[in-house]
Amino acid sequence: MINAILNYTFMQNALMAALLASIVTGIIGTIAIEKKLISMSGGIAHASFGGIGFGYLLGFEPIWGGLVFAVGSSVLISRLSKNSKIKADTMTGILWSFGMALGILFISLAPGYMPDMTSYLFGDILSVSTSSLIYMGIFTAVIIFVFAMLYNHLISYMFDEEYSKARGINTKALEWIVYLMIPIGIMVLIKIVGIILTIALMTIPVSIAKLICKSIKRVIIASMILSAVFSVVGLTISYYVNIPSGVCIILLSTIVYLLLLAVKHSIQKKLHSQRVHGKV
Amino acid sequence: MSKTTAIQFDDVRFCYDEVCAINNVTFSIEKNSITAIIGPNGGGKSTLVKILSGLLKPDEGSFLVADNFSIGYVSQFTDVDLSFPITVMGMVLSGTLCQNIKPFCKYKKEHKERARLAIKQVGLHGYEERGINQLSGGQLKRAVIARAIASEADIIVLDEPDSSLDVEAAADLYKILIDIKEDRTILIVSHHLDAVLNISDSVLYVKSTVTKYSSIEEIRKKLGDGIII
Repeated sequence: MINAILNYTFMQNALMAALLASIVTGIIGTIAIEKKLISMSGGIAHASFGGIGFGYLLGFEPIWGGLVFAVGSSVLISRLSKNSKIKADTMTGILWSFGMALGILFISLAPGYMPDMTSYLFGDILSVSTSSLIYMGIFTAVIIFVFAMLYNHLISYMFDEEYSKARGINTKALEWIVYLMIPIGIMVLIKIVGIILTIALMTIPVSIAKLICKSIKRVIIASMILSAVFSVVGLTISYYVNIPSGVCIILLSTIVYLLLLAVKHSIQKKLHSQRVHGKV
Repeated sequence: MSKTTAIQFDDVRFCYDEVCAINNVTFSIEKNSITAIIGPNGGGKSTLVKILSGLLKPDEGSFLVADNFSIGYVSQFTDVDLSFPITVMGMVLSGTLCQNIKPFCKYKKEHKERARLAIKQVGLHGYEERGINQLSGGQLKRAVIARAIASEADIIVLDEPDSSLDVEAAADLYKILIDIKEDRTILIVSHHLDAVLNISDSVLYVKSTVTKYSSIEEIRKKLGDGIII
């Protein structure tokens, strides 16, 4: 594996992509979980498939089409659920399937053979090209910069939006920023685990970090580290066992999460029982 | 608006679509006083509190606060996710955050000191690094009040801070309010009539419109013993 990393550009790209995705997971995953935007993120990821298909049809880089569709869906879900009686959840469901249907339509209209879309649906970390790595790097840099710039305001907004609003903080602006950061982050993750598994990578490392950390800063850092470890270990397993890397990463992280949840539950149960019997 | 007035409502009206929650509301609140806000469910207390806190804007009429006075809102905290990984210090510090969104706005030493003092003032000294999910109901309410104190708000509006608290925890909370009344104006929504009236200088009875009373005797004289709050 180390030889492969040293000798093959595709392995070096894969490793770099995993590290970028880990940073995005820590930041965007935490925001999405704390603002309860996970299902909306799933809708955005799936809606982006429409843009990816559009890119194929017109012959430009599909990821840019995906980004436009993802940002458009995010803005649409946010605005319509705020300004009309349509619930965000309903709008998410509609855009989720609409984006997928559009994507399939555009691809089927594209001239020539139908391309293999598996890498967009399930991810393929081993196929990350240097040009993909550049856009992933730019997107990640934008996310890091905006998050670092507004860190304290975003944390306060994520924790207690009503209080921030009552304090006179411009929560509308923060909401816009969050709704723009999520689709940008999703576009980084799609290349690693694909549209279908993106929500898992956004959710699981952060959920594990929340089991062990009590401050938001530690949760973000821990979920970045966990995501990097899962990506590299998943990549190694997929290299030797020859199964899709995205699938490996998600299965591994889910198993670790469930194990840790069981361990934490059993420790809490033991402590509770000791308290009841006066041993603590 | 006189120099001693902290808040002035003039003919304020607020409606949700067709239904008007409050109508023709006119009253004023003196500086450095405690005012209890009471009234039946659906009478408009929450709407009044939200207008006071700047979360809602009146459809008609005017709502004024004394020059340079800021308002700190202590919500019922029922919508806040207590699994959010934040310590007491982290939460109270967020009260000191600059109102205007400035790039790289950081907490300075003076902010941390203010937060520490506020935590001490509400009796949570030693709990600074404890996660909010490890606090009891009473401790959590005190931490939320500490956040409002740390924000240096001149007016603190508390929406049912004593709900779900036992008698002892509620008494501790009222003591804190009396302590901070010296340099602040406090408005408190409560259903614990006897307890809250003991510490209040005046009472607002909210039932679509608002009537201001100076004592419980006055309310009972006007509305009778069967007053519903």
